[in-house]
Amino acid sequence: MARVSAILKALSVAYRRDWTAFQSLAGNNFFLATVFFLGKAGSFIYLILGLVLLFPLSTDPLRKIPASRLALWPLEPREHRMLRVLSPWINPLTWVIAGLAIWTVGRTMTFGLWGLVAGIFAAGFLLSDLPFAPAQGLWRRVPNLPGPLNQLVRKNLREILSTLDFYCALILSLSAIGFRVARVAMPTVAIPTEAYMGMTLLVVLALSSYAQCLFGLDGEGGLSRYRLLPLRGWRLLAAKDAAFLLVALALTLPLAPLVGAGAACVALAIGHSPSVHRPRRQTRWRFSTGASIMNGIVQIVSMAMAASTIFTNPLVVLPCVAGWLVSLWWYGRELEKAQEK
Amino acid sequence: MISCRNLTRRFGDFTAVNGLTLDVPAGAICAFLGPNGAGKSTTVKMLTGLLAPTSGDVEVCGLDVTANPLEIKRRIGVLPEDLGLFDDLTVEEHLLLTGAVYGVDRKQTRARTSQLLHALSLEHGRNTFAVSCSHGMRKKTAFAMALLPNPQVLFLDEPFEAIDPVTAKIIRELLASVARRGVTVFLTSHILSMVERIATRIVMIRKGCMVWNSTVAELPQSLEDHYFDLVESPVVEELEWLGSARS
Repeated sequence: MARVSAILKALSVAYRRDWTAFQSLAGNNFFLATVFFLGKAGSFIYLILGLVLLFPLSTDPLRKIPASRLALWPLEPREHRMLRVLSPWINPLTWVIAGLAIWTVGRTMTFGLWGLVAGIFAAGFLLSDLPFAPAQGLWRRVPNLPGPLNQLVRKNLREILSTLDFYCALILSLSAIGFRVARVAMPTVAIPTEAYMGMTLLVVLALSSYAQCLFGLDGEGGLSRYRLLPLRGWRLLAAKDAAFLLVALALTLPLAPLVGAGAACVALAIGHSPSVHRPRRQTRWRFSTGASIMNGIVQIVSMAMAASTIFTNPLVVLPCVAGWLVSLWWYGRELEKAQEK
Repeated sequence: MISCRNLTRRFGDFTAVNGLTLDVPAGAICAFLGPNGAGKSTTVKMLTGLLAPTSGDVEVCGLDVTANPLEIKRRIGVLPEDLGLFDDLTVEEHLLLTGAVYGVDRKQTRARTSQLLHALSLEHGRNTFAVSCSHGMRKKTAFAMALLPNPQVLFLDEPFEAIDPVTAKIIRELLASVARRGVTVFLTSHILSMVERIATRIVMIRKGCMVWNSTVAELPQSLEDHYFDLVESPVVEELEWLGSARS
């Protein structure tokens, strides 16, 4: 028992130090927008909470111990079983779920909704226990692009594909496309065209936190390689932006592409500053964490303004693109200065 | 080819490198030796323009490193301490990226990539993502990236660490061969036996200060003995509890 309690104690210290999952809640634009605009939507907010907060937090604490180390320790099978049963209780969410289960029975939360939240938690827990690796075969199929920055852009695309932001945006985009297809099948159903603008904005919004932390998934090795490459700062940023724009345009093309392009340019123009001056390390398979809530609010409001203006006057996309290009040039210089320090 | 005068770098009150002055001629293989934390990597970072010196001047290929950072980057190949690899690129993609960014034409890049993958026994792992590679494979990839643009100066931070003996011999012979063709090699290493075989010049640093700078021929004794005399002597503690009855 002494061995098990020593391991659990070390695990709880390691777990307390890992606050990135909580930060991913605070700095994610999609969550912020959801709180602002959909707060009154009842159960929807719980679903978003489940997606944004519970999933990334529902990792198995035992995974913090490298498997090879765990196998080397002289533990009895009985002690392994004890660790398996006790370690989930180091995760504060296990207690939250247990507390909710007791508190919500017959109160504000229905059994069904509670089951959904618990299900997301269990799915996250079980998935994290699998020897999960990114879809390497799929990653290799990221297409080649013309130009000398091809490999950098491909790498950046793979980085975006390993954030939950992309999958959230993909679900939203596919839902909207499905809605559009259904409308063709049922021409009597009237859908205001503003709905597509709104959905497009929501798709770009789901991606936009990543624009605040463009270098977050490069790791120490990647950042030092950037400093060694004989490339101007704006070209390094352009490779990042190209990947972001490709994803944003691909997801919004069947909805309102001009609105999508304009909103993506605005998200990048505002995101360059925190990306360069306050680079924040990100974790794969979690939602991206923006630099600050204030940055997120500025990004959301600007994107919403740009989207609604482009919707009424498509030419407004031009100043959005111009603003992005100016930001690219300016923060490219800032990136060079930051690299020289 | 590499020249620095009174090169100093401070981090707050701590002086990592203190008044380093040295000249490395073209075609030399200069081994920069010292214990962990002596200031070797900080010096390499300053020589390659990755870190601005607090004071002093650095010239590489006749160019001031701080005034011409881009031009310097085009002329040097670097194997950095942390290898500088992207998790999301495969071994081969790293080399293709290097060729494209350094302006090597596509055909040449493909040919050089194949040759380097073959020479460094990386062919079997060419499609492996860097994140999934062993440390040795990662090191070889970063080394191949340093060589691919055909640089005038090579800066190698611990090139022989975590490398199998066969590849270490290949790297050693590659370096000797490029040095004969005028490429300057500046390397750090803790493997003194390897350094003794390859280096033409030895520089030793201790607590940020240079304590030795000469050609290999000018060493008064074996490199290992000289290193222990000048840099640090090993103190072997007797751990009596090891091997005794278990408590």
